[in-house]
Amino acid sequence: MTTTKDHPVQEAHAAAPPAPGGSPRLSDRGLAVAFISPALLLLLGMSVFPLLWALYLSFTDYSATRDVPANFVGVENYTNILTSDQVHQRALTTLLYVVGAVTLQTVLGFAIAFLISRRTHGRGALTTMFLVPMMLSPVVVGLFWKFMLDAQFGVINSMLGSLGLGQVEWLTRQRTALISLIVVDTWQWTPFIMLIALAGLTAVPKYLYEAASIDRASEWFRFRHITLPMVWPLLLIAIMFRAIEAFRLFDLVYILTSGGPGVSTETLSFHVYKVAFLGFNTGTASAYGILMVLVVIVLAQFYLRYLNKLKEG
Amino acid sequence: MRYLQRTGRRSLPGRPARLATAAILAATALAACGGGAGDDSGGAAAAGGPTAPATVPELTDDPLTLSFIWFEWPPAQALEDFANAEYSKERPNVTIEVNTVPNANWHDAMFTQFAARQTDFDIPILDSQHIGEAVTNGNILDITDFVNENIEVDAYDPYLLAAYGQYPQAETGQRDEDASLYGLPLLGDTWTMIYRKDLIGDEPPKTWDEMIDAAQKCQDENPGVSGLAFHQANGSDAAAVTYNTVNGVYGGNLWNAEDKTVEGVINDEAGQKAMDVLVNEMKPLTAKGSGNWFIDEVNAAVAQGKACIAFQWIAAAGGLVDPAQSTLGKTEDEILDKLGFATLPTQDADVVPLGGMGMHISAYAPSERQAEALNFMKWFEQEDIQKKWAAAGGVPARTDALESPEFLEAGPFNQVYADSVSRMRDMWNVPEYARLIDIENTNVNAALNGAKDPEQALDDIASEQQRVLDSAGGGGL
Repeated sequence: MTTTKDHPVQEAHAAAPPAPGGSPRLSDRGLAVAFISPALLLLLGMSVFPLLWALYLSFTDYSATRDVPANFVGVENYTNILTSDQVHQRALTTLLYVVGAVTLQTVLGFAIAFLISRRTHGRGALTTMFLVPMMLSPVVVGLFWKFMLDAQFGVINSMLGSLGLGQVEWLTRQRTALISLIVVDTWQWTPFIMLIALAGLTAVPKYLYEAASIDRASEWFRFRHITLPMVWPLLLIAIMFRAIEAFRLFDLVYILTSGGPGVSTETLSFHVYKVAFLGFNTGTASAYGILMVLVVIVLAQFYLRYLNKLKEG
Repeated sequence: MRYLQRTGRRSLPGRPARLATAAILAATALAACGGGAGDDSGGAAAAGGPTAPATVPELTDDPLTLSFIWFEWPPAQALEDFANAEYSKERPNVTIEVNTVPNANWHDAMFTQFAARQTDFDIPILDSQHIGEAVTNGNILDITDFVNENIEVDAYDPYLLAAYGQYPQAETGQRDEDASLYGLPLLGDTWTMIYRKDLIGDEPPKTWDEMIDAAQKCQDENPGVSGLAFHQANGSDAAAVTYNTVNGVYGGNLWNAEDKTVEGVINDEAGQKAMDVLVNEMKPLTAKGSGNWFIDEVNAAVAQGKACIAFQWIAAAGGLVDPAQSTLGKTEDEILDKLGFATLPTQDADVVPLGGMGMHISAYAPSERQAEALNFMKWFEQEDIQKKWAAAGGVPARTDALESPEFLEAGPFNQVYADSVSRMRDMWNVPEYARLIDIENTNVNAALNGAKDPEQALDDIASEQQRVLDSAGGGGL
């Protein structure tokens, strides 16, 4: 039965004249392959191959600078990394940084978006103004914050001084250095959360608030039972993006603290850089990078499953 | 109709396409294996460095740009200006370019290109400690024969010639005549003590203990001026050189070079004393928040009159007597009424740090530019050119140039350099240098900024450096 239905269709297609302007030699499939092959080759060359190459190197003792062949070392690089106290310390620093920065950015970003969404005039100008930090290069941001946070000549300590408060060693003390990194990252990336939250807030149907007003619901009730549940899924996606970004933080650490004092602000990415480009232990650095990618993928998978459950619920 | 036709068809790449993609990836991976990690065909020959000819090969008359790589600081611009002004008299078709990177990227910028076996520079200016890494990996030319044939080796202090070019490393103060040379001196350097004559007197302190007492007294008597300013940052070699200097002054050693022992050497009694002096006596005399200071910050503190005594590389001290950059006077003479430059005080030993860099030739530069680089080196190391380089702000290495009025009168700190040559001590120049210096930098910086107990920091330096040396050539973190 199926074949009797299919035949007339195929015959009709075979009898149809070629599309005007189309090449008689290039089939639909050929055309499609021709269109996607440049992008595919680029993807294979720039992403897939380096990833596979790094995976291969991660099982060797290869060094990019030493003129000796790579030797297969099995999973030795992986076990060295996973059992290293140095790595554990950097993982803890990274975790503290990710949790601190993303939490602060979420709270501030949502608060700013909430306030902006309640304005009827100047919303566009305010939004644009808040987005400026996000458009700057992290290196530029790092450099001018380094000047601002300088204990001797920085504007921040100058302001504190004029308020009668003492000087703070922002970048050279163990506790304040990590906090400074979190503050700078928050300054730059809160607008991202704000933008996503603002999109969610403007999409909340007005009739829900009208219905709540008729029921004389309080501001807090409306926020807790209408605004937050409607924006939350979108906010969670923004949090995931920010967490992944924060997890691989390198530039701000490099510019602001160089990982110091000592190694107290060295993140995992900064440590990988040192392994790769100071010691040129390419095999170990590749394994380190692969492990970081795996951690992100696994955590993102759990997170996405939670998001799906939330959506289904 | 179109939709009906497509239903049931396999997605676009299809099985053959997927197989082809897999084959391409496998082939590419194999090709890359062959050309990189697994390729020892050229590597074995290159290990230890290709050899430069004993004489300068025939030079091209076509326009040619000879590229250097250095880090961003005043001598880099001075070299480019000097070389273009003087070398072009001999070789008008040649332009000299001194490309610079931030100090913290200096090592990476050179060695990542070496790793790619392709460099956009012809003459890398290596720190004396980088030589081992570059030689072991075959990145720079062996110029021993060239030096023997073209350079007046007797005109140099033997240690200076060795420090900037010899591998394996020269023992302090000596040169191994049979060892190979991979570079020639470009810029000599050491630390100078900069002191405020108007605050602590015309005579500089003679011992390290006297220096600390003078700094303390000066700080107490001059609110707003800190007693000391020195390098403490954890980037480059900043904090490490500071500790190494104090270690040397108090009679310590960094390692035993013969059996590559660090454990029990750097953290012996003298080493512990040096760390104690640095963290508990010197650090309290520095400005608040100075824990990340390096060359520029120390210069700024001196130029703004915020430090009684400071320690700085001589090659970076030129701006201190420039009225445009200083608040200490409107003319150089006014500034020099307040600032004095002296050799480092002694204590239990008479040691100063060796700084400066040498010129080397990239093994991956095209042959015509390698030839030009050899010619440039031969030209640069002549007596009259070295004197002109001194007059232009450089620090020469030839003894006749060092003793010449052109050099001694070119800057108020140049006599300090001439007096310090016989006292110099360098760090390790082994291939593991970058990791050794990072270990020392981060630990000394941690101790200086209260992130680690000083004694613990020194013990950690010893154990971590020992681990790196013991696993020489191996991977690890």
